[in-house]
Amino acid sequence: MKLGFLSIDIGTILFSWINLMILFFALKHFLFKPVQKILSERQAAVDQTLKDAEDARARAEAAETEYTEKLTKAKEESAEMLRNAARKAQQRSEEIVAGAKAEAAGILQQNRDELEREKRRAESQLRSDVSGLAVMVAEKVVGREINQADHARLIDEFIDSVGDVQ
Amino acid sequence: MAILAMALPEFLRGSEELSVTGPKVIKTFHIFGLDINFTETVVLEWIVMAVIIGLCIFLTRGLKVKAVSKRQVIAEMAVEAITNLVRDTMGKRWLAFTPYIATVFLFSIFGSLISLFGVRAVTSDFSVLLTWALMTFILITATKIKYGGVGGYLKGFADPIPVMLPINILSEVATPTAMALRHFGNIAGGSIIMGLIYFGLTSLSHMLHMQIPFLTIGIPAVLSLYFDLFSDFMQAFIFIMLTMVFVSNAGPAEDEAAA
Repeated sequence: MKLGFLSIDIGTILFSWINLMILFFALKHFLFKPVQKILSERQAAVDQTLKDAEDARARAEAAETEYTEKLTKAKEESAEMLRNAARKAQQRSEEIVAGAKAEAAGILQQNRDELEREKRRAESQLRSDVSGLAVMVAEKVVGREINQADHARLIDEFIDSVGDVQ
Repeated sequence: MAILAMALPEFLRGSEELSVTGPKVIKTFHIFGLDINFTETVVLEWIVMAVIIGLCIFLTRGLKVKAVSKRQVIAEMAVEAITNLVRDTMGKRWLAFTPYIATVFLFSIFGSLISLFGVRAVTSDFSVLLTWALMTFILITATKIKYGGVGGYLKGFADPIPVMLPINILSEVATPTAMALRHFGNIAGGSIIMGLIYFGLTSLSHMLHMQIPFLTIGIPAVLSLYFDLFSDFMQAFIFIMLTMVFVSNAGPAEDEAAA
């Protein structure tokens, strides 16, 4: 049995409607849901990548700033160290020079003192030798012994009047 | 029409008779005193549905975010194309309609193209088109009630003056009727024309004393390009375009809805 060419059939309408709904849900489930899911996942991945890149850029900038700061600080430190070292070296050299000078001065002084002492000793030696000699000469000349003590005083007066040996 | 699957004996015999009928009734159920016919059309619908769903499953198998396969590209392009069409035609807030529009479009195209395999087109059954057009009508009405309320919907019939009531009712009924008849008429008409051409070319071959109807080679194929391929695509496209335009026009304008 065949229906008419332009028939309106309740059964066909009913079945067609059910089929339409089945196909609708099938398409939704088998085509749109998975594809839209993957599209949104891809969108999310792209967004994530962009965000990561932005973060990385920010981090790189922060690191650059940090390194620049550190570098500046290190340069300052090294300059400071250099200055310190130079100052210390200067100080040390001055100390050394001063020490050497003091030592040299000490030695000089010591030598001078020594010399002075020698001179004194020689002087007094000379004085006693001369006074002894004078007494001996006077004894010989006068023919008698004069008081040794008087003589010594006379000789000293003579020497003082003659002047300092220096 | 039956170009692809026309069996050789059938071809050798040619088209010697022409009958214009509806689909075969396979079984009739009697439920609540109603005669519910289970027809050829429904079986063909199942075949079409199986093909579409199978295609979808095949295309969306193993979807990946990166390094996509050709199948996935096709699936994504199809989804994006129909989504863009809905967005451009209806507007952004109607995007939820996309799967339904895709359903009608694919059902219509594949339902029409199935006639290339020598069977009746699903869309040459008026009841099927009427079902789809009624769905459009329901969507239009539901949209009107959603945005205007039942009162607003009923008042719309007396717009702009109450005298217009019969005309408004007529136009409301005419929308789905016209949509169903347009689609049905084009596809069924195309089938009839192709049948007539086969019939005519067979007769002509016999008149020219050919035992085998050689004239049915080639000539129908060219005409089939229009009456089957082009027409099938056009009607599917027109049907979804009308559905989208009518439904989105039933709601308020884009800026009004946003306000």
